[in-house]
Amino acid sequence: MANKFREWIEDRTGLNNFLKVMLDEPVHGGAKWSYVFGSGLVFLFILQVVTGILMAGFYSPSSTSAWGSVYYIQEKTSFGWFVRGLHHFGSSAMIILAIVHMFQVFIFGAYKKPRELNWISGVILLLFLMGFGLTGYLLPWDQKGYWATQVATNIIGTIPVIGDYIKIIHQGGSDYGNFTLTRFYAIHTFLLPISLVFFLFIHILLFRKHGVTPYWKTSEEILKNRIDPFWPDQIFKDVVFAIGMYAILAGWVFWNGGAELQAPADPASNFLARPEWYFLFLFQLLKYCQGNFLIVGTVVVPTLAVIFLFVLPFIDRNPSKYPSKRVPFFSVVFSGLAGVIALTTVAIHHDSHDVHIRHQVEDSEKQAVRAKKLAARGVPPQGGMSIFLNDPVFLGEKIFKESCAGCHKLKGEGGENGTDFTNFGSREWVSELLKNPKDARYFKESGAMPPVSLPDESLLDMTEFLLSQSGDLLNKNSARIEKGRELVLRGNCVICHPFGDKEAKKIAPNLTEYLSEAWLKEFIKNPADLKFYGTRNKMPAFDKLSNRELDALAQYLLTLSKDRELVSEKEDAGKPYLFGLSVPRTMIDFKNKSYAILQTEAEKTTRRKSM
Amino acid sequence: MENGRRKFLKIASHAIGGTLAAGVAAPVVGLAVHPWLKETVYGIEDFINIGKLDDFQVGIPKKMTITSSKMDAWNIFEGLVMGSVWVVRAEDNTLSVFSTNCPHLGCGIDWGADVNQFLCPCHGGVFDVNGRKISGPSPRDLYTFETKIENNNILVKYKKC
Repeated sequence: MANKFREWIEDRTGLNNFLKVMLDEPVHGGAKWSYVFGSGLVFLFILQVVTGILMAGFYSPSSTSAWGSVYYIQEKTSFGWFVRGLHHFGSSAMIILAIVHMFQVFIFGAYKKPRELNWISGVILLLFLMGFGLTGYLLPWDQKGYWATQVATNIIGTIPVIGDYIKIIHQGGSDYGNFTLTRFYAIHTFLLPISLVFFLFIHILLFRKHGVTPYWKTSEEILKNRIDPFWPDQIFKDVVFAIGMYAILAGWVFWNGGAELQAPADPASNFLARPEWYFLFLFQLLKYCQGNFLIVGTVVVPTLAVIFLFVLPFIDRNPSKYPSKRVPFFSVVFSGLAGVIALTTVAIHHDSHDVHIRHQVEDSEKQAVRAKKLAARGVPPQGGMSIFLNDPVFLGEKIFKESCAGCHKLKGEGGENGTDFTNFGSREWVSELLKNPKDARYFKESGAMPPVSLPDESLLDMTEFLLSQSGDLLNKNSARIEKGRELVLRGNCVICHPFGDKEAKKIAPNLTEYLSEAWLKEFIKNPADLKFYGTRNKMPAFDKLSNRELDALAQYLLTLSKDRELVSEKEDAGKPYLFGLSVPRTMIDFKNKSYAILQTEAEKTTRRKSM
Repeated sequence: MENGRRKFLKIASHAIGGTLAAGVAAPVVGLAVHPWLKETVYGIEDFINIGKLDDFQVGIPKKMTITSSKMDAWNIFEGLVMGSVWVVRAEDNTLSVFSTNCPHLGCGIDWGADVNQFLCPCHGGVFDVNGRKISGPSPRDLYTFETKIENNNILVKYKKC
């Protein structure tokens, strides 16, 4: 039966014959490991197609939904982060492998007559790859993609005469919006793949026509006598290479926890725009092309480089494949490579040594974590940015401005009566307080506490210990904590301040879990409590604030310093999960935690409404 | 010798290629079946408040709109109209809450106040005030929803039928 079916298929299609022709291609000079790069690229391309099609089933290309849908793929699905990671890092792998492939072809002299068109179709494929990278970067509509792509489209705008028109067509208007995403998506998922497959077909067809270009020292005799069949000799090597590559790629994705997703695109922010690493050299080049010379970096140099690649097989007409006979071309190509590597290195080095940039990167990472946390409650239909509207920190800031700023100064604004909240709760803030409580920044003349007259280092030790109690201190220094504990608990502090028991009362504030979220909330509710300032208190009690408002205010206060993180967020972030499978909200089990959170939120809302 | 080597290479290539394909397929399939594993569209309230008991007259059906918040994959839609229900208050203050969709093919059902019956405008289904089928093509009585009353508020466990 099966045999008959096979015969029928064979009779109608000639499939066996076709496969035979495909697989039995003679490899002159024998199968070689140096030939695996091309097929490796085909494998990676198939991987991109598979992961890409799958993600297209979850992705929504509009300015209000793109970020939310990518967030969903990344955080809410099983394996979504892994598939997206494969796609993201797979594109980098393709670029690396394409460069390696190109250099192997160049070094072996495989672009020479009669293989000029092999080479040219390969260069076109490389340009398509870059196009994929450029268009794919924007699709998550996060800060990174949005701002980096702004630069890219503005570069298109610098092309003389037609630049502006191309730019407007490309981004679907004079500014970024829904059409920018639909266009980038259409180019990324239809135009480029179809074009790439077309040229890939030509590329492989031409390769089959002309065969491999062996190592230049291979003798004619070996070329004639040593002929391996493509299957299985070369395919075996290809498959081994492919699985090795996939193992590295999957390991890389796993190690990095997938591709990153920054906070939703905010056109009002000043995000640090950086392209993907393989475009960094162009980015760096632009720094040197100032004023009217901008066009040199954006158009002239790249165009010349591409033209050089296109005409290379026609200007290098010497049939010899020996590198020693091709010195001028080797020097041009390798100095080009050296230039690219140098520019990339300078770009990376510069960013990693600029304090301002490092802070900006830290801030954006913090914002990305916050965005994901907020998006777990659902992204309102107004788009990704609107998640911040329900942010407790946002609400806390509002309450602070309404209720606290009358007495407390923050970054130069606000009243004079209370302590200054600039950098509140940071190491710097606490250690300065210890040094001089009567300072205008702290308790002024009402400060009853004597200054701690110890060297700055010891003050920092004490600060480290005091803040470490709350559990939200970032980058804890355990040596300092131990020294600080000695100084605080064995020193004079404990004469006035209670430690260890939250409810204990002495003449000065209880410093157990000092400046933690819970401590702050208790304090704000009633600073005149005997466990805080008691009779010396001057601050009004804010016991009218609802629990939600109090939470929001305390959380906002914690964000005022870079040394602290929000505890309530840490708990969620620490949830271990493998491929997203351990916290499912399955069809069967509706009582998942995220659901419970939503439910209590909803209850609160109805309760508020009914009140 | 050479044949033995090729034979080995063929088997090895199949094995490695198969492993590779499985390695790629596992996460891909895992993601593809996501809608089986987790609910993607759901209301976030179990019981939805549709009004006060006092607002309903005994024995006279009243149509109420169901407004709740809905999760749709990544989106949350707040205050979204999810559908409507017919509410009938009995003399003992128990409530019957019916779907406004006919169990036949889902058309919207009206209350015929003159005949005291629920009437389906599409294929002529007729139901009495308790939702029981009287005549017409419907295979069953009207769909009902679980209901409870808390502090005079009517709460309905609404799911699209």
